[in-house]
Amino acid sequence: MAACVTACGLPEGDYFGRLDGRVDPAHFRWCNQAEPDHLDPARASSTASTPLVSALFAGLTTYGPDGSPVPSLATRWEIDDDLRTFTFHLRGDARWTSGRAVTAYDVAYSALRVAHPLTGSPSADGLAPIKGAAGYLARAVFVLRRDVPPYRAGEIVERVAGEPAHGAEAVAAVAAVAAEPAPDLALRTASRELALRDLGAPELAAYARVPAGRPVTLVLTTGGRATPPSPRTPSGDGPWAYVFAGAPAGAEGAPAGAGAGGVYGWVPAAELDGEPNADATVRVRRVTAKHTPGRAGPAAELLADEQAPRPIVLARGRDLAHSPDALGVRVPDAQTIVFECADPTPYFLSLTANRALRTAPIEAVSRRPTGWTDPAHIATSGPLHLAAWRARDRIELVRSPTYWAPGEVRFARMTVYPMDDQAAATAFYRTGGCDAGATNTIPATYLPALSGELRGRPYKDYRVDPYLSIYFLWIQTEKLSNRHLRRALALAIDRAAVPRFTHGGELPTSQLTPGAPIASLSDADLAACGVSRDHPGYALVMEPGALCYVPPPGLGYDPAAAARELAEARRDPSWREPLEYRYNAGAEAHKLIAEYLQASWGKIGLRVELVAQEWNSLLEDTRTGNYQIARLGGAGTVADTESEFLPLFRCGSPDNRGRYCSPEFERLMDEARALRDRRARNLVLRRAEAVMLEDAPVIPIYVYTQKHLIRPYVRDYAINLVDQPALWRVWLDPDWRR
Amino acid sequence: MLRFVVGRLAASVAIVLVVATASFLLLHAAPGGPFDTGERRSAEVTRALEARYGLRDPLAVQYARYMSRLVRGDLGTSMRKDRSVGALIAEHGPVSASIGMMALAFALGAGLLLGAAAAWRRDTWIDRLAMAAALVGISVPAFVLGPLLVAALSLELGWLPPARLDGPSSYLLPALTLGAIYTGAIARLVRGGLVDALGQDFIRTARAKGLPERLILWKHALRAGAAPVVTYLGPATAAMISGSFVVEKIFQIPGLGTYFVTSIADRDYPVLTGVFVFYAILVVGLNLAVDLAYGVLDPRARAR
Repeated sequence: MAACVTACGLPEGDYFGRLDGRVDPAHFRWCNQAEPDHLDPARASSTASTPLVSALFAGLTTYGPDGSPVPSLATRWEIDDDLRTFTFHLRGDARWTSGRAVTAYDVAYSALRVAHPLTGSPSADGLAPIKGAAGYLARAVFVLRRDVPPYRAGEIVERVAGEPAHGAEAVAAVAAVAAEPAPDLALRTASRELALRDLGAPELAAYARVPAGRPVTLVLTTGGRATPPSPRTPSGDGPWAYVFAGAPAGAEGAPAGAGAGGVYGWVPAAELDGEPNADATVRVRRVTAKHTPGRAGPAAELLADEQAPRPIVLARGRDLAHSPDALGVRVPDAQTIVFECADPTPYFLSLTANRALRTAPIEAVSRRPTGWTDPAHIATSGPLHLAAWRARDRIELVRSPTYWAPGEVRFARMTVYPMDDQAAATAFYRTGGCDAGATNTIPATYLPALSGELRGRPYKDYRVDPYLSIYFLWIQTEKLSNRHLRRALALAIDRAAVPRFTHGGELPTSQLTPGAPIASLSDADLAACGVSRDHPGYALVMEPGALCYVPPPGLGYDPAAAARELAEARRDPSWREPLEYRYNAGAEAHKLIAEYLQASWGKIGLRVELVAQEWNSLLEDTRTGNYQIARLGGAGTVADTESEFLPLFRCGSPDNRGRYCSPEFERLMDEARALRDRRARNLVLRRAEAVMLEDAPVIPIYVYTQKHLIRPYVRDYAINLVDQPALWRVWLDPDWRR
Repeated sequence: MLRFVVGRLAASVAIVLVVATASFLLLHAAPGGPFDTGERRSAEVTRALEARYGLRDPLAVQYARYMSRLVRGDLGTSMRKDRSVGALIAEHGPVSASIGMMALAFALGAGLLLGAAAAWRRDTWIDRLAMAAALVGISVPAFVLGPLLVAALSLELGWLPPARLDGPSSYLLPALTLGAIYTGAIARLVRGGLVDALGQDFIRTARAKGLPERLILWKHALRAGAAPVVTYLGPATAAMISGSFVVEKIFQIPGLGTYFVTSIADRDYPVLTGVFVFYAILVVGLNLAVDLAYGVLDPRARAR
């Protein structure tokens, strides 16, 4: 039946989509791959939300046509030689749709909001390179409010667990502390009713009130490193405090005016005169120099400080502030923002285009922390604005009336259809419902027809491009600890055959880091990669024409070598057969691949049983190490192997589902981290990847592809490796036939 | 009568609470949680997310909190979308209900006609054709019928839109797909009920006093033979108007049925328990309506 749906009555012409209608250049209709989970940059986590968040909310940078960061809110920036400090200079003409100017304080607020534990932002890890961000999220770093000998007021301290300890034990103690329940030192009370309002607004303008005595959480105070200066008001010039009142969705009792998600607001800080946990005691010690905001310096000096003694002392709640001043974020003036990272972070610039650093409007978020992206309440800073949102039906976007470059947006409105069923999305496209579809809104059954396998020539409105994402198998190295066995598993698979039954033009690979086929690169990129066009495999272009990473070849198909490795492995007295391969049920491709792998391993005489699992169960089992071989995938958001791919294999990584831990790999990763020259760094990373692939804790199968259906009159639809189409730059050409 | 209704209502409350408890416990027993999505995420981030939704409390505390809210009519808030479950039901419920009512009207109309024709011309080719059609309706699942209808009526002939609700014509394919299965069942029940009724004494009496056949069939026989259909209609209506995952997926309809499946995959505990409680209330309410309808249809039931 499914075959008939595709094979019966395929369109005859060059294009799969019907093209009889008139092209309306003012209206762009786009089929998204699903309903976005959120449009709030701090809360969004689905791939369906990312392109919309990018269009609605400006970041310091945004995605250029090739997916690399280009100026947006920031018009220029400086990166220090150490790759730790990043200074951005903002444009003066950016406006929220509410009319207010977008400033560096907005960028800082949005970053602090993502990093704050109350927000529960799934993107918080995107800020992890910033000094103090991980500790701030865990409520484990504080600014000392007064001297606690030997430490001075203003120093940054971290909470530690258990008894005073030294060296490696101390590191373990810090790791353990986050899991330990601790009193919330940011709780405050007031002896009078609190009138929550915008910064500096009169009390009469309050939008929510908190009864006297009810605890609120202190989030920010004016006059800090990254917070606005204290406002001048008729009632006085003291600092103001930004507090959260009411309970998160799980608990009871919200104040008047607050929705289910509670409410944020500013009050004069002097009104917060009570501190419920002032006497709670916490063991703390100073953080190391490299984690201290404002402390830069030669790497050797920072390294020496790691060895210096840091006595553990007992502090009280009243001595400590859970404050953003502990973070490496600083706003020297309204047009400048500085980020400081604990370690050299070559890819930090790319992070500034990600949703974690997109701006959110504090006035709207404060009033409705969970409902502010409703069209009635939203304010936006990006090229497009939200006009209507009917859940799972459509989202209407319009050209933003306040965007600084209105000429960039050539359509007046854009309709986004959430199509989570690929067959429906493709039928809808075919009959003229949308002008273009998001990545992978095409069911596998259509691929043979679209790619030309069925009729001998592909449709012209179908495109296949590489995607920064890899289909791979994890091997649980604690269970399959025999290196020969793991190598045999990797060497036995002829990946080249896989696309013949997945039909999506996937790119077979034995490299871990995905990229574009070297043969397809531009001359400039090829020069940056330092390889010739006939070099096999893929390369990751990190900066177009300037910087490139060429992964090592890995363990390709070699049945003879596989048989030798297997014979070696069988000498192991603890040898057990059959092995077990797990994959997630529900998708035909995973099943076909599983059967193919089973046959491939069977050819070298290895018995492997297949187990299909529900997706969540597979995730749980791979996380807890309860498997031998399992399929998963890994997608990257930044074109840099160091940000998302190679770190998976570090000993302590929470996502190291293979439980792989190699001293040599660790040493090379650390060595790379210390290098400032990015080319030299890539060479060391390449050696690290080679060491890891030779140990075979992972078997790469193919680089995923992005499959798109795009009508011929749709122009400047940018398809790039990181799948970040800048939708607002799309335009529709009514004269496309000419 | 009043005592009957009050007793049934009390039992209904108990049933709803049992459904809420069972769905709460079953989903929490399933591995994983709403924030184990396979994305790379540090332990701190997962902790912050779980803390935000009270998932770090002991299960008993979470259960007590959920039930205390439930009895006050608060179904909680989706952990994946931050929207109240009540609002989700209010927004997507009417969409499902409108498709469901169309499907119900189609199923009732076509089912009655097929069933009556089959009973009236019993053991003729009409009977066999009607019952064959009913059997096809029952046996062909929506995920086969839907794409076939799309391929034929929309991709091939271009008469109807293939997906999404946009304009009156877009309701036809989903309503037809959803109603087909119930049409077959209703037709078979109508035929059975009518065949049974037509053999009874009171029909012979009606014929003896010279009533027109049309009147005998539609007024007397159908009324007596309708009881099984009415019984069936209670749960069938609940199922139709609360939305079908399959039909909503094939046609990309923003209805409620989707949540019965996605909330399980997402481990979105409040949404799952919310839609199940809502569904339980529908089923219980419609069954009560069915019982009351018996009284109207059959004088003997009123006495009981």
